[in-house]
Amino acid sequence: MFRPRRDTGAALAGIWLALILGFLYLPIAVMVVMAFNESVLYELPFKPTTVWFERLAENERLLRASANSVGLALANTVIATALGTMAALAFARYTFRGKTLLRLLLFPPITIPWLIIGTAMLVMFFWIGIGRGLHAMLLGHVALSLPYVVVVVGARLASFGPSLEEAAATLGANPWQTFRRVTLPVLAPGVVAAALFAFAVSFDQFVISYFLAPPGVSTLPVEIYSAIRKGFTPEVNAISSIIIIISMGVVLLFARLYRFGGAPADGGGR
Amino acid sequence: MQPTTKLSRWVPVLAAGALAVCAGVVHATGELRVLNWQGYGTDEEWAVQIFEERTGFKVVHDNFNSEQEMLTKLRTSPGAYDVVLINSAYTCDAAREGLIQPVETNLISNFGDLSSNMRDSPTLNCDGKAHGVAWVWGVTSFAYNTEKLAERPDSIEILWDPAVAGRVGWRDDPVEAVSFAAIALGQDPNDPSDLDAVRDKLLALKTQIRTFWSSEDEWNKHLASDQFDVATYWSGSASRSKTAFGLPVEFVIPKEGAIGWLDGLSVATGAPNPDAAHMFIDFMVSPEFYVRWDTEVGAPASANAAANAQLPADAFNRTVLGDPETVTRLHFMAPLSDDRREQFLEIWEEVKTQLAQ
Amino acid sequence: MLRARRRTWAVLGLTGPAYLWLAVAIFLPLSAMLYFSFLTVAPFGGREATATLKHYQAFLDRDFYQVLTWRSLQLGLHVTFWCIVIGYPAALALARHVPGRWREALLLMVVLPFWSNALVRVFSWTMVLREGGLLDSAVRVIVPGMESLDLLFTYDAIVIGLVHSFLPYMILTCYVSLQAIDGALIEAARTLGASGWVIFRRIILPLSVPGLFAGVILTFVPVIGSFMEARILGGRAGTLLGTVIEDQFTVVFNWPRGAALSFILLAIVLLILAVAWPGLRRHLPQG
Repeated sequence: MFRPRRDTGAALAGIWLALILGFLYLPIAVMVVMAFNESVLYELPFKPTTVWFERLAENERLLRASANSVGLALANTVIATALGTMAALAFARYTFRGKTLLRLLLFPPITIPWLIIGTAMLVMFFWIGIGRGLHAMLLGHVALSLPYVVVVVGARLASFGPSLEEAAATLGANPWQTFRRVTLPVLAPGVVAAALFAFAVSFDQFVISYFLAPPGVSTLPVEIYSAIRKGFTPEVNAISSIIIIISMGVVLLFARLYRFGGAPADGGGR
Repeated sequence: MQPTTKLSRWVPVLAAGALAVCAGVVHATGELRVLNWQGYGTDEEWAVQIFEERTGFKVVHDNFNSEQEMLTKLRTSPGAYDVVLINSAYTCDAAREGLIQPVETNLISNFGDLSSNMRDSPTLNCDGKAHGVAWVWGVTSFAYNTEKLAERPDSIEILWDPAVAGRVGWRDDPVEAVSFAAIALGQDPNDPSDLDAVRDKLLALKTQIRTFWSSEDEWNKHLASDQFDVATYWSGSASRSKTAFGLPVEFVIPKEGAIGWLDGLSVATGAPNPDAAHMFIDFMVSPEFYVRWDTEVGAPASANAAANAQLPADAFNRTVLGDPETVTRLHFMAPLSDDRREQFLEIWEEVKTQLAQ
Repeated sequence: MLRARRRTWAVLGLTGPAYLWLAVAIFLPLSAMLYFSFLTVAPFGGREATATLKHYQAFLDRDFYQVLTWRSLQLGLHVTFWCIVIGYPAALALARHVPGRWREALLLMVVLPFWSNALVRVFSWTMVLREGGLLDSAVRVIVPGMESLDLLFTYDAIVIGLVHSFLPYMILTCYVSLQAIDGALIEAARTLGASGWVIFRRIILPLSVPGLFAGVILTFVPVIGSFMEARILGGRAGTLLGTVIEDQFTVVFNWPRGAALSFILLAIVLLILAVAWPGLRRHLPQG
């Protein structure tokens, strides 16, 4: 794409990005360091220990909340990616009445503050008896993830146009074969990127889960918020450190398998 | 190598995850669910262990940060709790809303040892039935960092003293805030006569407050990281900060007086395990639990006279709270009407808005 | 005819599940909450609720609700402003000045914090920002004898925490627009003698508006409804409309009041979007 124009420009860019990465990772570094600090009240000076990791192994609440978070995020990823990809296919491959309206209706999950969505879901689910719990959170997380999936998959679909599929159809493939053998393989990087998005949206989602968490059931962010408000130990740092390291591994793995967001489908490099 | 095949290999794994989540939550039987402040006795590890060994019930906790939040949790989660700690000023409110059930006092073997003035307090006995078992009582006042303040303050005005400007911690609670201002102004904290004066007094905290605190744990962390020199606090928590966390803290009951409160343990309506709930309450009010709690961890004063008598002679709960002169300076919290509570809330929201600017 | 009908079914089948889901999870709850905002009390536990406008009236009568609304909007503007100022140049640097392989690695580094935990990140800031914390110590090493820097429990602390949370969104959306700009366009402009500044102002900036716009929405909207960052970092300055709404739902059980305040906030968001819409519409990608 763009060639570096001048060395100074590249140097400035490098410094700026380094500063930003420093800013982004500073609290994460602090989080990891404090997981190894002895003081239960987060007092300095630093005294190294691994006791919080040992205690974490016996902390059923945090572990259960973590398991809930992972399970919820996985379920959300599957459902949101499937539903969102279907909708994106409809938008990209068909013209129909009401399309603009439907596209517009994707915006509310993004343009309404989570606080309002979360409290509204609390009110309605409590009122009509759906109740709170992981199923309610799943309803909310999928709704929040859908717009991202539709946009990311849609962008991928737009990048290769229907000509490939038409060619397949001309050669006698039925719609399902076309989808399975042509559309899906080319679409895959977009779907994977969308799935990663959906996972992150759910895994880091706090506000909606918070309002929909009944006593005794929580996700990691909810558990940590109530811990921060009501009392906690560096065990939350320990679990968070483990999670960021696992996520880094998973994301890097995916990034190796599929270039992030996908290379152009026409094979043209940048 | 098609990316699709890789993707499809993931599908069963993801679907399994989805199913695991949808299976939802099944309340295990043999669980005793307790709703209380965090770090307030019932969740002491050793106590939970003793109770679990004796009864076979597993004790699970949920926490709140204010009486209002506790009531809302009971309202929105009926049948989720067995035992709930309720400040006696709220016990009959909870009973009237049908959130708690009468206690079967014959199941509480220690009931007879409780001080009669607390056990039979009208705040715990609603419509002639005991709805709460008197557990502990204590004082809401303030504590200071003994390494920061050279002299022990004896007046509530220290909270408004320019010497500690920007070094005051304050609990984010409407009723407590109004009570403090009322005491400083010489008004009745349970029924302040001049709310405008209360509002002005609270607004004068603008230069004083560094931050709000909402839990004992947060209080300890703020003090340990030197965020405030003096802060509103509870007597039992102050003794825990000293005993269990080794913080340089002294609790003060100023000459103007302080707020007294009595906490009771109640059984929630629809409690899944009412029998275990009664057993747990009985254990909590026993001298066996209380003496160890106060000496090893730090606690408010017990409502069980037999338990108090077993404390060491120099215990705060005997020397200070045992002193009748101190007790006369306490204004015990009384139930508030809904209108009154709404008034307090509105004043506090307005004040907080001003403080934030 | 048959083809048309099959197409209709295909469209319905493909979009139906997603929109059904949105209806149950978003649109019905919003309707329920609108209804609640006109009730006197939450109709649970044997309480009798009647219709009333008093919760909307309360917003008009009580100055402090309006003050808090303005504070929340202001916070949204400040955080969005800083996200643009910091994030846009970063996206530009990534798209223009970083060679291919590095670009992807850096982009990944930028979005990775999403997979950690926002709450713990916010709490970690308390250790950075407080007096004697990391930032204070670092500044004093660089400038000895400087007055101590104590940012914790201030409005600025809330802004820093939120910028940290939302900056990756801004960088990502801006980057996506910027990297889609055709390099040939810029070469052409340069050949025609356009200066770097002119190229930026006339080509790069206009073409990246969609990404900028997306970033602004993804930042501004959640920020004006935020509450936990303010509670943890804001101290005395941490009272916002979001914290008051949270209290109505989780503490004082005045759901109708919370619902009314939520809808007022929502109305303001929609109004802002409506005002901005005509100007932004021509920049939005079509299709």
